[in-house]
Amino acid sequence: MNWRLSVLVVAVVALLGVAIMSTQVPPATVFKTLFEGSLGSASRISDSLKEITPLLIAGIAVFVALQAGLFNIGAEGQLILGALSGVLVAQRIPGAAGWVLGSLAGMVVGGLWALPAALIKVYRNGHEVISTIMLNNIALLLGSAMVNGPFKGKLSGAPTTDPLDKGSMIPALMIGNLRISLAIFVGLALAIGIAIWIRKSVRGFELRAVGANLRAAEFAGVEAKRVMIRAMVASGALAGLAGSFQSLGYEGRFYPDFSPGYGFDALGVALLAGTNPWGILPAAAVFGILNKGSSALTIEGVPKGITGILLGLLIIVFAAVRYRESKASGS
Amino acid sequence: MAANVFVVNTLVMTVPMALAAIGGMFSERSGVMNIALEGKMLMGACTLALVGAATGNPWIALGAAMVVATIMSLIHAVLTQIYKLDHVVSGMAINALALGSAKFLSDKFLDASKQIAFLPMEVFVGLGLLIPFLTAAWLRWTRGGLRLMATGSDPEKCRQIGLEPVKVRYESLIVTGVLCGIAGSAIVTNAGQFGEYVTAGKGFMALAALILGGWRPLPTLLACLGFGVTQALQLQLQGSHLMGASLPSEAWNATPYLVTLLALIVLGAKNRAPAGLGKP
Repeated sequence: MNWRLSVLVVAVVALLGVAIMSTQVPPATVFKTLFEGSLGSASRISDSLKEITPLLIAGIAVFVALQAGLFNIGAEGQLILGALSGVLVAQRIPGAAGWVLGSLAGMVVGGLWALPAALIKVYRNGHEVISTIMLNNIALLLGSAMVNGPFKGKLSGAPTTDPLDKGSMIPALMIGNLRISLAIFVGLALAIGIAIWIRKSVRGFELRAVGANLRAAEFAGVEAKRVMIRAMVASGALAGLAGSFQSLGYEGRFYPDFSPGYGFDALGVALLAGTNPWGILPAAAVFGILNKGSSALTIEGVPKGITGILLGLLIIVFAAVRYRESKASGS
Repeated sequence: MAANVFVVNTLVMTVPMALAAIGGMFSERSGVMNIALEGKMLMGACTLALVGAATGNPWIALGAAMVVATIMSLIHAVLTQIYKLDHVVSGMAINALALGSAKFLSDKFLDASKQIAFLPMEVFVGLGLLIPFLTAAWLRWTRGGLRLMATGSDPEKCRQIGLEPVKVRYESLIVTGVLCGIAGSAIVTNAGQFGEYVTAGKGFMALAALILGGWRPLPTLLACLGFGVTQALQLQLQGSHLMGASLPSEAWNATPYLVTLLALIVLGAKNRAPAGLGKP
């Protein structure tokens, strides 16, 4: 570790230290509360899993795009519309077919919502970050307009859809009070599948080649434009799936602010994982546990914002370390 | 009367966006892609509320807001220039950090029973309309302005003629911070209170305006005015029936983003963006 990184780490730790000191809650209590609040009991673990699931799947989504050199800042918007379309489909189809088709609908809508960003990037040379930021805001407003307007539920005055039948929700395994949704298993399978695919398949290699060096990949005969469009749409579809799983597996309905920013945190998850697909799961777990644990911290008198600060700092430190590593290895 | 209210609303909506967008222009013209305008504005807004409530002096509060937003912006500069973080990554991190800090600080230290001392909104409107013109003149007619444009266009050539792009970027990001601080202050002054939702995506709208305006100050101001008009129209027409149907407020709010997206499709962005955006 060189001195610049050391300075950064010291500064980060000092900042966190000052923040915690200012609350006058002993640091040991902070960490204890954080862990007990997220992992202390079966129901808390269940709640943490609810947070980890979308972070894991959306994290994979952002990771896939990032491997092709694309920033999918739009995961949040894709996730929101995926959740909405998942619920709308599942409301109309009874039984298990409801959530299966609902999840598929979420994937389709998420993928379609990412498509404009991909096309603008490839054919109009517009930065995908800008277009996805615009698409995010439109998606957020669209979601809110839909549940304030045509799809507003009849049972509640609030802007939300009516709750789904239990039967058309994603089933969950119950062990005592511990609820493990099928959604998290699918997420795990996806993480493993993507990890193998991206390292072992030709398509996965093409994806990484485009991300590593666009020009070189094109010279080598990779159809870079097609790879980029595919990567972005796949990323959108995964983010859409994350959203529909959240509404079909956990929430049981759609309301506009169900996501505390899963799509944005997913970017953090992917950045923490870096180039290693096996890093997505632990990164999602860290983010999910912090999300859940922060509610308990509020009760102790530590404002919720502390986890936002922590996550922002984590991203900074990891990105800085990554840069050193990539420079050291000469790429 | 209604027309009067409409003009006032338009100006009040336009001004924070214009200030942040011009701030963004400084940053992006120097080569630092800036998606962190929202976070910097939020920190400015939070500081104004905290200091305004604690000291009761609106000028000290404004000064503090500018300083804190500038610190955020300098962190951004250090991360991109020294630690060579990707501009998108560092921007996201700054936004997360700002949102977390604003929540933390306002939860912990904002005394809701105390009045926040505000400057009259006219001060911000004046600044917001004046600064784009000053910036345009500065860019066009001064050595510093030309240096800024040169740095954004081709940092490598600048190095060859003895200009230090990194130094220009630090200076530019200080300006970005100051302007975002004023922008955030304007938002809180207009809202009359602080909450972490107060900036409500205005930083991203400012970014959109910057792109629509082709990274030039006066067209950017014009784009902000356009966005301001749609927002004022929304306030004016809320619930009323237009051509037989009532438009949901979301449709008005989405207009700036839709227009920007269309502009990206129709005009393309790269040919107008500073060529050195994101380069070392």
